[in-house]
Amino acid sequence: MRTFAVVLAAAAALMAGSTDNINGNTYGEPHAPVLIEIFSDFQCPACKTLHDDTFQLIMRDYVVPGKVYIIYRYFPLPMHPFGHPCAEFACAASRIGRYQKVADALFAQQSNISISGKVEDVVNSVLTPTEAKKVKSLLHDPGVQREIQTDLDEGKLVPVTGTPTLWITHGGKSQVVSFPINYSLLKSYLDALLAKK
Amino acid sequence: MDFYQNRALRAILLAIRIVLGAVFVYGGYVKLQAPWALFGMAIDSYHLVPLRYIEPLARTIPWFEVALGLLLIFGWLLRISATTVSLTLAIFFAAMLHAFLNHQEINCGCFGPGEPISKWTLLRDGSMLAGSLFLTWMALRSPRRMA
Repeated sequence: MRTFAVVLAAAAALMAGSTDNINGNTYGEPHAPVLIEIFSDFQCPACKTLHDDTFQLIMRDYVVPGKVYIIYRYFPLPMHPFGHPCAEFACAASRIGRYQKVADALFAQQSNISISGKVEDVVNSVLTPTEAKKVKSLLHDPGVQREIQTDLDEGKLVPVTGTPTLWITHGGKSQVVSFPINYSLLKSYLDALLAKK
Repeated sequence: MDFYQNRALRAILLAIRIVLGAVFVYGGYVKLQAPWALFGMAIDSYHLVPLRYIEPLARTIPWFEVALGLLLIFGWLLRISATTVSLTLAIFFAAMLHAFLNHQEINCGCFGPGEPISKWTLLRDGSMLAGSLFLTWMALRSPRRMA
């Protein structure tokens, strides 16, 4: 819910300038000086912490003012049996503009999903019956599978050694930032990047 | 046996000095290429240092590493530099071992981000520590400058 509110605020703040501000799993102005790609797994507890806390602060301090563009990348780890199904549902939901709702629900219900494995029930609980039907039909879309595989392949190139991993690009140079992340230190880092010409 | 008459031993000590010195210079240089906060996040991930000390440490350790590395490479103040390198490596190794034994899935931070602590990183740093201790021992028992 809190994420949804932050995203709504971001949308409102950016609406005048761009039409591509919140597109599925991306946030902010694509031409922002700093790009943060977040490699995340819906079944990873640290990813939930990042999503619930640090992500909100980055949205408020950097995405809304147009300084940072965020792309959430799907990086389901093999050790999490429901990570891949969650990524499929989130990716399918992004195709109908419901990524944020579904991602929020998947993170909020992470522990329940780990026990029950009922990913579809969680997703359906935040979608209308029509949306749920569309998402289900998109699950087997080759494009959805391809997007997840592309993100996994990109993550391996970084290389992502655990989740969540932030791949921060500024001025053509990229750096890996791995969890745990202290926000005040991350803020100092982003401010230093933004201060560079 | 006079160790310093032994060419092989002198060569080994020189090699240890050069390798350790180069590793320290490289490690410091890599950290200095990025804003201090990047290394600060690596230090913070160990959860061993209070937040207020992170910035001074992250700003000074890379310079300290470069200086120590150069001292080793050129063999200046060898007793002091070798002892300091051994103490520094012992602290780094203890912190990494502590994180590894506590199953902290964090990066080593040794040469910038993106290198998780593993048996391999422990073996590497442990080997460096062993080499450094040997160098220190030889430097302290030497009546004159080695290699």
